Amino acid sequence: MSKRFSQRQIRWAVFAAAASSCGVLFLPVPALAHASDRGHVLLLPTNYYLAGGAFAVAASFLVLSLVPADALGRLWRRRLPLMTFGDGARVAVSLLSFALFAVLVAAGFWGSRDPLSNPLPLTIWTLLWTGMTLAQGVFGNLWSWLNPWYGPWWIVTRLTGRQDAGRRMPSWLGYWPAFLLFLGFAWFELIYPAPDDPSKLAIAAGGYWLLSFVLMLVFGHDGWSSRGEFLSVFFSMLARFSLLDRNEAGRLSLCWPGAKLLDAQPLPLSGAAFLLLALSSVSFDGLMRTFLWLGLNGINPLELPGRTAMVGINSLGLVATFLLLAFLFGVSILVGRWLAGSHIALDQLGGLLVWSIVPIALAYHLAHYLTDLLVNGQYALVALSDPLGLGWDLFGSAHMSVTAGIAAGAEAAWWLWNIQAALIVGGHVLAVLVAHAAASRLGRAMQQAILLQLPLTALMVAYTLFGLWLLATPTAG
Amino acid sequence: MTGKGRFFDLTNGKASRRTVLKGLAAGAGLAAAPGFVRYAQAQSSAPIKIGFQAHRTGIGAAYGRWYERTTAAAVKAINAAGGINGRPIEIVVEDDGTDAARGAEVVAKLANQHKVDIVYGTLFSNVVVGSAPTAGELKIPYYVVSEGYHVASGKLNRYVFQPGITDVRAQVTSVAPWIAANAGKKVTMIFPDYAFGYDHRDYLPPALQKAGAEVVAKIAIPPTESSFTKYFPQIPSETDAIYHVMVGPAVLTFVKELGDFYGSSGPKLFGFIDSLEAVDINSPGLEYLDGSHFWEGSPRYAQADDTEAQKAYRAAVGIDDNGAAVADAKDVSTAAHMFGCWETLYVIKKAMEDAGYTGPGDRAKLVEATEALTEFAEGPEHPQGKKLFNGKIHQCFGHQNISKLEGGKLKVVHKTTIEDGMYEPEADYTKQSL
Repeated sequence: MSKRFSQRQIRWAVFAAAASSCGVLFLPVPALAHASDRGHVLLLPTNYYLAGGAFAVAASFLVLSLVPADALGRLWRRRLPLMTFGDGARVAVSLLSFALFAVLVAAGFWGSRDPLSNPLPLTIWTLLWTGMTLAQGVFGNLWSWLNPWYGPWWIVTRLTGRQDAGRRMPSWLGYWPAFLLFLGFAWFELIYPAPDDPSKLAIAAGGYWLLSFVLMLVFGHDGWSSRGEFLSVFFSMLARFSLLDRNEAGRLSLCWPGAKLLDAQPLPLSGAAFLLLALSSVSFDGLMRTFLWLGLNGINPLELPGRTAMVGINSLGLVATFLLLAFLFGVSILVGRWLAGSHIALDQLGGLLVWSIVPIALAYHLAHYLTDLLVNGQYALVALSDPLGLGWDLFGSAHMSVTAGIAAGAEAAWWLWNIQAALIVGGHVLAVLVAHAAASRLGRAMQQAILLQLPLTALMVAYTLFGLWLLATPTAG
Repeated sequence: MTGKGRFFDLTNGKASRRTVLKGLAAGAGLAAAPGFVRYAQAQSSAPIKIGFQAHRTGIGAAYGRWYERTTAAAVKAINAAGGINGRPIEIVVEDDGTDAARGAEVVAKLANQHKVDIVYGTLFSNVVVGSAPTAGELKIPYYVVSEGYHVASGKLNRYVFQPGITDVRAQVTSVAPWIAANAGKKVTMIFPDYAFGYDHRDYLPPALQKAGAEVVAKIAIPPTESSFTKYFPQIPSETDAIYHVMVGPAVLTFVKELGDFYGSSGPKLFGFIDSLEAVDINSPGLEYLDGSHFWEGSPRYAQADDTEAQKAYRAAVGIDDNGAAVADAKDVSTAAHMFGCWETLYVIKKAMEDAGYTGPGDRAKLVEATEALTEFAEGPEHPQGKKLFNGKIHQCFGHQNISKLEGGKLKVVHKTTIEDGMYEPEADYTKQSL
């Protein structure tokens, strides 16, 4: 690819890597939906970014190998106490959330048929799936308060006098229920032909709420939320990256990004699989739109037949992407263990190192969906002001003009690309850092820790390239 | 067959939700209102329900947003002037996801569940072709704004009409005389190697030949290609003009590499604005297009000699002199095509009034009344220009614009005659039973 580039673009390429290394991840600038402006990106010197990004991730590993783990850990664990507050309002907040959810489901059935006018798809796909993920990554586990189950569960269990769950969720189930539900969710989002259809989404979302609620009554709210309800599992994992930490006593502190991953307990195999699925599904969301994937499957990207015709191949692709990532992760753990001559139990090693996927998953998520948040987020504000399409203006935003142009054109594409590159590279650099900390906990000596981590780092460098390529290559839709 | 792969989705359209989408919103409101039953029974004042098969998601979303805005503007204007036979239009939107299979579902849903009077508004050819059989089976008139040749070809059915936008065959045929007279006698075609490109490949050479020019090379580019330099040596040195109809995200790369290949010289260029619809024509990489010519259905940029009807249409839809949203200069419209929504809705109004349409029981009468139409005069209802309508092939014919890109704007330098785009009809839908 012959690509000219300006001094400014070179400076930005360097900045992208540098800023990412510093953890500057959440710059409030406009970006594009992954559906658009790829044409402008094709003219950018993206190959230099790919090379620079891979170099930055590899270099961060080398630098870390020179820094004593203790010193790093001490710095990373520092907290700045902010305030203390109790759980008193949790029930009320959850009940409000439930009320909003009920209105949204009603809107799905009886509101506008237009997915850009109906608040249900906009709230689920944009505000929840993208916005809430971002909020969890920055502010911590808000979902534990905002989920629409806790309040209703609290009331029902108080009324029935069954405050303790009747039974415990069998430990052998691990995170597999959450894994399977997440797989179903990803399939619905990425492959099902009409995930935006308000009434179909209302059935899916309402049905899922009901199923989860029943299972929370059976296994307890915390029991089902911690290993079964996939949103709670996903959000709480991502919240370990956040800049705010609230301990058992309710004390809120400011902390470094990813600091809460330092003390995480090893995940069981099912938990590791869950995290890898979360990352692979977003990766496949990017991959399935590329000319490469469409071409491989004999689909003309200039004449897309629509989702229905791709259900089969994309279902296979979703599963295959997960299996491939899980395989590569497994191999990198095995090889690392062999290189280091370690006898640490495999499940403990993999279960600890897999936490390093969290920053990558978060970065992928935001890089892929940031524009959706910025553009469809505006549609959501409009739709929420008149959820049932009855001419209401609850929040004064029903007639707000949606400015999608902020995400259009060459300049916006340039900004988008740089932010996405910074997110992807930054996420991987932090992942290297987390893996380094985990390996240091396990390896007796620095050298052993480095060898344990080495193959995983190679995988992360490769995934950086893959992630940037996904955002730079021609795509359809 | 046809198939316009318009997914050069380089922009997100801007749209106010308080537009046509009030459609079902209004429906829901009515359903919830206590007087609904009485109102619905009053046939004389009950709304005419038009099902809008919209590309709200999927690859057609950028076009879909502008089709929605144009539809909203036209409905507002029609309703403000008394509606259709005194009844207001109510738009019921259903998203088809730009998915052919869902398209058929949507038509059925609009007909059976929402009980609309007709279905309207489809753009993407694959969705039109996928939906048409359902419209035929349900015997519900289906007015598309697709530009494909599929309607006129006779391969669909009696219930499918395209009265508001010309088809690609007519467009290609009509620009040939101008190309022969102004761009050069020896033309090299560069087109994507699939149906959309084939329409141009098949219809341009005979039209050029008739005009005294010839196609000296046809270069088909694989759809997945993203780098084009290796194809340029295939362009014969005798070429006077390159006719290019590339689409997709790599169009900017194509133009840039073509410019790099030829430097400051090279053949003249003639393209279809489909390549750059909804994209800022002044984007980096497109510099080589300066001075070249484009086909435009309706001009993106305001012209010095715009009619009052054209000015009123642009104001109603909300596009500025550069063809972008009035409130959002970066939101470039799909001006070359979306006027078809406006004009189609006025054709529907005319046909319903001619038929004395009162409800779904009159659908056959509506089909016949539409087929009986022959001409639409230029004016507020048809701001793009006069049209002739052929009831046998359910297709309109009109003027095409040839615009030159200069000073960062597209300036119309020639309007084809309607006759330039006429061809021998290949079908007669009126022979099919109703």
